[in-house]
Amino acid sequence: MSLSLENIVKRYKSETVLDGVSLDVARGETLVLFGPSGAGKTVLLRLIAGVIDPDEGRIAIGGQDMTGVEPEDRGLGMAFQNFALFPHMDARKNIAAPLTARRMDKASMAETVSRVARMLKIEHVLHHKPKELSNGQKQRTSLARALAAAPDVLLLDDPLRNVDAKLRFEMRLELPRLLKSQGATVIYVTQDYKEAMALGDTIAVLDAGQIHQIGTPEDIYLRPATVEIARLFGDPVINLLDVTPQMVDGRVQAMLSGVAVPLGAAFEQAVGRDCTLGIRAEALKFVPADTAGAIPVTIETEAPLNEKTITLALTRNGREVMISRPATQEAPSMGVAHVLPDPSSLHLFERATGRRIVGAAKATVPQGALQ
Amino acid sequence: MDTTGPVERVLRGIAISLVILFFMFPIFWILLMSFQTNETILRVPPSMVFEPTLQNYRALITGRLETQTSTLEIRFMSNLYNSFFLSATSVAVGLLLGVPAAYAFARLKFRGSEDIAFTLLSFRFAPPLLVLLPLTIYFQQLGLSNTYGGLIWVYQLIVLPLILWIVRGYFEDIPADVEYAYRIAGHDFWATFWKVSLPLAMPGIAAAGLLAFIFAWNNFIFALVLASADKQPVTVGALAFVTASGIQYGQIAAGIVLSITPTFLLAILAQRYLVEGLSLGAVKG
Amino acid sequence: MTVQLSLQGLNKYYGPVLRGVHAVKDLDMEIRQGDIVALLGSSGCGKTSTLRMVAGFEEVSQGKIILAGREIQALPPVRRNVAMAFEGYSLYPTVTVRENIAFALKAQRESDADVRAKVQDVAEMLEIAGILDRYPSSISGGQQQRASLARALVRKADLYLLDEPMGQLEPQLRTLLRGRIKFYIKERGLTAILVTHDQAEANAMADQIAVMEAGVLQQFASPEQIKTAPANLFTGTFVGEPPMNTFAAKAVTEGDALVLRLEDNVVLRYPATDFAPEVRAAILSRGDVMLGLRPYSVRMSRTGGSPAQVLANQWLGDQTHIAASFAGGTLVLVEHDRADVQVGQSIGIALPADALHIFDPETGRAISHGTEMA
Repeated sequence: MSLSLENIVKRYKSETVLDGVSLDVARGETLVLFGPSGAGKTVLLRLIAGVIDPDEGRIAIGGQDMTGVEPEDRGLGMAFQNFALFPHMDARKNIAAPLTARRMDKASMAETVSRVARMLKIEHVLHHKPKELSNGQKQRTSLARALAAAPDVLLLDDPLRNVDAKLRFEMRLELPRLLKSQGATVIYVTQDYKEAMALGDTIAVLDAGQIHQIGTPEDIYLRPATVEIARLFGDPVINLLDVTPQMVDGRVQAMLSGVAVPLGAAFEQAVGRDCTLGIRAEALKFVPADTAGAIPVTIETEAPLNEKTITLALTRNGREVMISRPATQEAPSMGVAHVLPDPSSLHLFERATGRRIVGAAKATVPQGALQ
Repeated sequence: MDTTGPVERVLRGIAISLVILFFMFPIFWILLMSFQTNETILRVPPSMVFEPTLQNYRALITGRLETQTSTLEIRFMSNLYNSFFLSATSVAVGLLLGVPAAYAFARLKFRGSEDIAFTLLSFRFAPPLLVLLPLTIYFQQLGLSNTYGGLIWVYQLIVLPLILWIVRGYFEDIPADVEYAYRIAGHDFWATFWKVSLPLAMPGIAAAGLLAFIFAWNNFIFALVLASADKQPVTVGALAFVTASGIQYGQIAAGIVLSITPTFLLAILAQRYLVEGLSLGAVKG
Repeated sequence: MTVQLSLQGLNKYYGPVLRGVHAVKDLDMEIRQGDIVALLGSSGCGKTSTLRMVAGFEEVSQGKIILAGREIQALPPVRRNVAMAFEGYSLYPTVTVRENIAFALKAQRESDADVRAKVQDVAEMLEIAGILDRYPSSISGGQQQRASLARALVRKADLYLLDEPMGQLEPQLRTLLRGRIKFYIKERGLTAILVTHDQAEANAMADQIAVMEAGVLQQFASPEQIKTAPANLFTGTFVGEPPMNTFAAKAVTEGDALVLRLEDNVVLRYPATDFAPEVRAAILSRGDVMLGLRPYSVRMSRTGGSPAQVLANQWLGDQTHIAASFAGGTLVLVEHDRADVQVGQSIGIALPADALHIFDPETGRAISHGTEMA
C-alpha cells in the first residue's frame, strides 16, 4: 500500500521535532529515512505507527486518512532498534503476536511462524526466551515478528544498529531480497549511509526536523543538495575547500594550493561568489608532478584500509585533504606529491547557505565493470 | 586480588556469623521465651536452660489464659484472623486500585500527574495520630467505626501510596517500545496491558503487595482507635496480655511468634520473586 | 629500534585460578619504540584487561610488564609514567577543559607559555580549541572524549594508552582525526597502544595490530600482513571488511593440476606448477581444507570462471558490494566501480591462485596464502 505524509509537524513542549515533513512512498517501494541522531527519524516512524499523534498534518496509508486510527488497526509491521521483544514470551510467541491478534487458527499460525523463522534462519531458537538469544538472533526474531502477518507497510527503525559489524554487513546484503519478496512498502530508518544506499529505492535525508533532499542513492551521492548531505554520505568525508571561482580567459576556475583548477562552464553563475568546493576523496588521483593542473600536496599520513588506502595530506596553504585509492594502486606515501581532481565530480556549494550551486556532476565512476 | 586464602575465608565466616547473631538474637530469644513459663523467663540471671512447655501456645489457641488469680478469656485467634482478613483485603483492594493508577502515572503524563502522585505519597509522611481524631468523628457519623469496611478503607492510607510508588517504578522500567510493539502487532490497549505490561510488572506488584501486607499487618494505631475488641488485629489484641496481675511475657512471646510467622513465610516465598524482579532488569537492553 | 614495552607471560584471572575467568592467557608481546599498536578484538577478548594491566588499574595475575627498561607490574599507576585516554568520560568536573588538559603539564613544571602553546596545539588538532574555557558538564560526549584524549596526548610519558578514543565521535570526524592523531604521534616519536573494536581504526592508525580472541593473542603483525597472510581462520574472518568468504573444499591432484572441489560441483583447477612444491604437498596432505577468499581479490569474469548467481548488487558511492550464491554458500566481492549486473543474473567468478588462502579446518591454522607457504 502507498503511504503519504502531508506537512507533518510535531512539537515537544517548545521544541519542534518535525517541521513540515511531506513524503510519498509508492506501493512496494523501500524508502530509507536517513539522518544524524536527533533528526526526528524515530519520531516520524512512531507517528506513522500511530503510537503518538502529530500536532499538524495528515498521514494516509493506502489513500486512507489515519487520523484517529489506533496503532492496532493500521495493519503495520514494525521492527525496533532495541528489538523490543516481549521478554516473558519465547521467540515463537513473539513472532506469533501479530497472528494471535488476527485470530488465526492454531495450525496455520504454527505454519506461518515456522515459515518466517525458516526464512530468517532462527528455527532452532524458537523455544528460547529473548534473554537466551544472541543479539543477532534477537534482531532476526524482531524482524520475523514484523514480517509474520505479511503487513502491507513495514516500518524498520534502524534494525541493524545493535548487531555486530559482520552481521550488519550480512544483513545489509540479505535484507533487500527479503523485503522485495514480501512486496511490502518499507520505511527504513538508519544513520549509516552505506545501509541507506544499499537498501533504498529512494532516500529521504532528514535533518533537524526537515527533509533536505529526496532522491535515489545516485542523486544523493552524486548531486547532494547541501554541504551537510555531501558530508554525511561518503567515507572518508568529502574534502571541503573554500574557493571563490573566477573567470579567466573565458573559463571558470578556482585557485587551490596555488594552482588554477578548471571548473567547467556550468559553474559560470558561481563566479565571484564565496563558495565551498567539495571533492570526494576518491575523485582525487595521484599524478606525476608535470601533469597540467596537478595540485602539489604534502603527505602527512597514510591509512591502509581493506580495499582502499586513504592519504591525509596538506595543500600549500595548509588545508587538509583526504585522498582515497584502491589498495592495489601504488602511490607515494610520504613527502610532496601531486593530485588531480576529476573535473566531472566537483561539487560547488554556496558558502553562506551551504546549498548546491547547480552544475554538472556526472557519475564519478564509469558504468560496466565486467572485465 | 579475588583469590582468597583460607585464613581470610575463616575470618570472613566468623564476621558474618557475628552479624547474623546480632540481628537474629531478639527473634531467637523470643522464640525461646515462647516455650517458657513466666517464672523461668523472669529468672535472674537469665538462662538458656529450661524445660520447654507448650502452655503459652495452648492458652492462645484455646483462648483461656490461666493466671495465678483468675482465668481470662482472650481472643487471640480471632485477632489473628482479623489481622489476616484486614491485611489481605486491604492489599487486594489496594492492588485493584493502585496498579491501574500506577500504570496511569507511569505512562500517561497528564497535567498535574506528578503533583497527584506526590500528594498520595505525602499521606505516608503525616503522622497517623494527626488524622485520627477527625477520622474518628467522621467514622462515627458515617457509621463506619468498628466495621471491617471502615478499617479497610483507612488501611488504604497505608497500602495505596506504597503500591502506587513501587509499581509505578516497575511500569516505568518497561520500555515503551515493548508495549508499542504489541499494539502495532494488532492488539488493543487493554490486551496490551493484560498480556504485556502486567506480566512484566508482576515481580514489582508482588513485592509491593508483600510490603503493603506487612505494613498493614503491623499497623496498630488505626485499629486501636477505630475498632473494638471483635474487629481488632493481633497488634492491638496483644494489649490483653498486660493483665491486672502482671504482664504475661510467655504468651506475648508466643503471640509474637504466631503473628510474625505468616509475614515471615510470605517474605521467604516472595524473596524468589524479588530476585527474579532484579534479574528481569537484564532484558531491558 | 629498541623495545619500549615488553609483556612477558602475562596472565589475568578473575575469580579463583582455574575456576574463574581466564581473561588474558600467556600474553607475550614486544612493542618497539615509536610504534602504534592496536589491540583489536570483540568485547570480552581480553584487550581491555591487557590495557588496564599495563596502566596499573588491574592487578597482574602472573607475568611481567617492562616499560622503557623498568619492570612496572608492581608499581602504582602514577609511578608508571603512562598516559591514558579513557573510553568513558574522566574529566575533572570542577575545572575548565583547558585546565583539564594542562593538568599533567603543570605537574611537570612547564612554563606557562609552554603549557598554553601545547594545549592550544593539541586542542586545534582535535577540533576542541573553541571549548577550552568551558566546563566538562557543558560540552557534548564527543567533546569530552576528545578532551580526555588531548589530556593524555599532551603530556610526556613513556607510553600512551588510548582506550576506544573515538567511540563517541560522528563518523565524519573520526576518519579525519585518525589521520591527525597518527601524524601527531608519529611526528613526536611516541609509543602508543590503541584499544579498539573498530578494524578500520586499527588498520588506519596502527603499525602493528594485535588480534585477540578469548584471551589469546591470535596474530601480532602489520595491517598489511594480517590482510595478506592471516595466521588462522579467526584472524582471516575477523579482520577484513567485508569479511573473508570461506568455503569447505577438498584438494586433489588430477594430472598436473591441483584441483579444489567445492560444494555444488564447483571445481577450481590450477596448474600444479603455480604452487611451490611444499605448498602443494601441504595442501594435498590435508585433503579437506577451508578455503578463504578476500572479497576484493575475487573478480567477476565475462569469459568463463565458476558459475555464480547474483543475489545483491549494492553501490555505495566509491565501491560496489556484490553478493552471489556460489558453491552452496554466499560469496561477497567488492568492485571499485559500479557493476552492471542484475540480481538473478548468472556470472562467472574468477579465482586466481594468488587469491586463495587455505586453512586447516580443524586447527584453523593457515596452510598457504596464494601460492606461498603460510
